Amino acid sequence: MKKLPLLLAMLIFAWSGLAMAAGTQYELRVDGLSCPFCAYGIEKKLKKTPGVESVEINLERGMVVVKARTGVVLTKAQMKKLVKDAGFSLRSMTEKALP
Amino acid sequence: MFVGQRWNALTMSHKRWWLLPALLLTGVLAMTDAAATPVTFNTALPVSRDEAVVRIQAKSLRATDDSGPMNRKLAVDALPLVVGWGLSARWTLFGIVPLLDKRLRVSLPAGHVTRGVRGVGDVTAMLRYTVYQNDQLGRTFRIAPFAALEMPSGKDDERDSLGHLPATLQLGSGSWDSLIGIVTTVQSLKTEWGLSTDYKFNRQANGFQLGDEARIDLSYHRRIAAYNIAGSGPCFLYAGLEDNLVWQNKNHSGGVNDNDSGGTTLYFAPTLQYVTMRTVTGLAVQTPVIQQLNGDALEQDFIATLSLRVNF
Repeated sequence: MKKLPLLLAMLIFAWSGLAMAAGTQYELRVDGLSCPFCAYGIEKKLKKTPGVESVEINLERGMVVVKARTGVVLTKAQMKKLVKDAGFSLRSMTEKALP
Repeated sequence: MFVGQRWNALTMSHKRWWLLPALLLTGVLAMTDAAATPVTFNTALPVSRDEAVVRIQAKSLRATDDSGPMNRKLAVDALPLVVGWGLSARWTLFGIVPLLDKRLRVSLPAGHVTRGVRGVGDVTAMLRYTVYQNDQLGRTFRIAPFAALEMPSGKDDERDSLGHLPATLQLGSGSWDSLIGIVTTVQSLKTEWGLSTDYKFNRQANGFQLGDEARIDLSYHRRIAAYNIAGSGPCFLYAGLEDNLVWQNKNHSGGVNDNDSGGTTLYFAPTLQYVTMRTVTGLAVQTPVIQQLNGDALEQDFIATLSLRVNF
């Protein structure tokens, strides 16, 4: 029984580690994306952003899905500037923690 | 009369073929930077800030339809290298370095004579500013004026065994020339419209001035296929049509206008482009459907352009 708290602590630590690996998913609705070649500008800028693990672009939906490491926060102001610098317009942004 | 003198006397009396390489080089300004854009002229679409887009083209012009006794045949091949750099979300700087190969073959009583030159032509720097931008889901509408300066970096004193090459065959004009224009682009995921107009001011050098040039360009492209290749993202195939209406003023040489130079040409060009996230590969063949040139003319056959754009 003395080992139970230790076991629980280890389980909690392991669970939190998994949670950290899951990270956060941001969905950017970007207007003006009308071709793959120009979309690359956004992808490249996002991949240069510290903490960003992956970028997926859906041109038909004008959606850019960004996965970032846990603890990394992408602000709307930051994303708005990034999208503008790439030559486009950020319409909206949502985020959710990944399970 | 020496062969070289006779060659110059004959060809310089029919200078209008000079218009042809000039037209080819203005096509060098077709430094597009996004997908499904015109192959033969400019676009208003963006280059990301602090990012580069490189475009290399292979252009070939042929003009062999000479009804005169000289049976002139002109061939101009060009490899213009264009680098676009995003200075900001609205400002883009372009640099254009053309590699040129010009050859003119003329029939003389003594036989055929071919003169030509190969090397780097005049370098051009161009600034473009997006004054209007309306973005919506899957579409964009932009208007961008631009201005360019063509520097006299190409050699303008080339010689061959027959003597000094005429100004029309030199790699460079020897003059600082400028260009202003405006381009409008409407692009959606399935179609793209482009409209551009510009005017080029040519200045005098070495006693010769190429006539000023004005042009209006129109393009329409439609997506005919879309693929999603794993690891490469979306890839689009576009087919398009482009029209170029080009007017050139008469050349000025030795203090007088050359009545055998300048005129108006309307080109019609079908295009095909394959677009990925990293590259755009395009092909266009411009055919002159109307050529109203001053005086006797060496009419064009075609201008073919193979284009590759790369995102870095």
